[in-house]
Amino acid sequence: MTGIEFYVVVLLVYLGTDLLAAWGLNLEYGISGVANLAYIVVIAAGAYTYAILSLGPDSGNGGFQLYVVGWQLPFAVAVIAAAAVGALVGVIIGVTGLKRIRQDYQGMVMLVISLMAVTVVGADTGFLNGQAGLSLIPNPFSSLSPAVGDWAYVAMVALACVIGFFVMRRFTGGPMGRALRAMRDDEHAVAAMGFSVIRLRLMSQAVGGAFGGVSGALLAAFIGGWSPGAWAYVETLALLTAIIVGGMGNDMGVSLGTFVIAVLLLQAVQFLPQISSHTGLTEALGWIILGVLTITFLWVRPQGIFKERRPFYRSPGETERSAPGDSATGRVAAPRA
Amino acid sequence: MPTSSDSGGRETPALAVQNLVAGYGDFAVVDGVSLEVPVGKVVAVAGPNGAGKSTLLKAMLGIARVMSGKVLLDGQDVTSAPLEKLARLGVGYVPQLDDVFDSLKVLENLEMGGYLCNRVERQRRIERVLQVFPQLQAKLHRYAETLSGGERKMTAIARVLMLDPKILVLDEPTASLTPELSRVVLEEQVRPLSAMGTSVLLVEQKAVAALAIADWAYLLVRGRVEVSAPAAEVLSDPNMREIFLGRAAAEVAARSVDAE
Repeated sequence: MTGIEFYVVVLLVYLGTDLLAAWGLNLEYGISGVANLAYIVVIAAGAYTYAILSLGPDSGNGGFQLYVVGWQLPFAVAVIAAAAVGALVGVIIGVTGLKRIRQDYQGMVMLVISLMAVTVVGADTGFLNGQAGLSLIPNPFSSLSPAVGDWAYVAMVALACVIGFFVMRRFTGGPMGRALRAMRDDEHAVAAMGFSVIRLRLMSQAVGGAFGGVSGALLAAFIGGWSPGAWAYVETLALLTAIIVGGMGNDMGVSLGTFVIAVLLLQAVQFLPQISSHTGLTEALGWIILGVLTITFLWVRPQGIFKERRPFYRSPGETERSAPGDSATGRVAAPRA
Repeated sequence: MPTSSDSGGRETPALAVQNLVAGYGDFAVVDGVSLEVPVGKVVAVAGPNGAGKSTLLKAMLGIARVMSGKVLLDGQDVTSAPLEKLARLGVGYVPQLDDVFDSLKVLENLEMGGYLCNRVERQRRIERVLQVFPQLQAKLHRYAETLSGGERKMTAIARVLMLDPKILVLDEPTASLTPELSRVVLEEQVRPLSAMGTSVLLVEQKAVAALAIADWAYLLVRGRVEVSAPAAEVLSDPNMREIFLGRAAAEVAARSVDAE
């Protein structure tokens, strides 16, 4: 396998796992209105879950890394478990957002959770090997030759994306999508129709968490390693930028945004020449561009490249103005003088 | 409900509020309000700005904090019950704004309203709602955002009727409508509901228009019920009118003096 071929494989796996993650976060943020700034935590939960379930006991390999569990489970079982743990962690994070506070404060609470989780996992060396993280995480196709195995992995990630896409559509479209979007726009209006807002919110975060869990598991199995450095809070912001640029709440837009931001942009900056007097500047530039893009879009085109089909709620005053076919009074019933 | 307390020949009201004190933090905006909505009647709660109408409504619907007092639905204590539970128990709440889903067709709006029931029952209810509002038949496949103000309100009420509510709670249904259209909505959309046996609680700032279609009126001033009387009586009695309109004006005047 040539270098460029391997690079393409890496990009495709990144794209697939980022798509799953972006769809999950879009379900929570774009569709349901939960500003989950701790989303990377569910991805990490999936990655670690996959790692410790698929790795053997930590006494192996001379015991150079310490972790819990180590059951050496088959790939599929470990990935499904990663989805379940992602969903569970998603719900736990979600519970912190149930208090009736403004959405931006909920976002702050979740940001703090994200920071805390990295610190705790990094500090406890016996749990998930602390700052050093886990390595030698098994790849399901390691017995195949690299040329076949890598493309097989791409095919598997693609399959996961196809399944993920249909699962996602069940929640972003149809009656469930309507209910979630309605909840985002006005909690009381959906509650008045008998929907439980708490249940809807937690369900959305459970499904979003499962997406993140699978994304993390597939990424960890491909890279073979996972450490606190892989899930800093800024990773959530990268996904968030992809969603904002692509078009919040729009499945197509989010997918495009993920491709442009998470793959094209963050890869492109790595090809910039290193400046020897300022090492690390080119990498930092990726984040700087990300931040500028987020701000620019929020100012200039908050609906993103592809906007959500149409506004869900609008005040009646606006509606009357935008109804060209009818006069303001309409033909409801002729007023009786 | 098993509690058909016909003691004394008086029917249990569809909705009753007893000595309700409610507000935000420690501040009571609603200060000991009692009211009743008899079955099949239209009851209007009117009052000037800041009288506590919205807070009263929110407290009844489990949104604002209830400090003391009770809310009874069909005799059953539902104080502080969450809105979705009230919806299941038969409270149809039509919010003031954000009352229909703009991005959905009228039919889809009705289907959303019928979320709680199965497909067959939902279809049956859609047909029944269309008997109440035949004008919607022609608009079923229009997006709600293209409706006129009156059609929009009709869709909002129709959507809530999909719940087959025992009582309809309307928060200023005429808030964004012209005076002429307000009258039409109240007379032709709200009033007929009581003829079908649905009880209606109408919270309105446009007092005269609301009282014209109501059976009973409560006038709320400074978080207290100032007047409780048959609506027609309030409307026709020059003193009552004076009390209401005068008090309301006096309130505003007093407050602006306080502020200085």
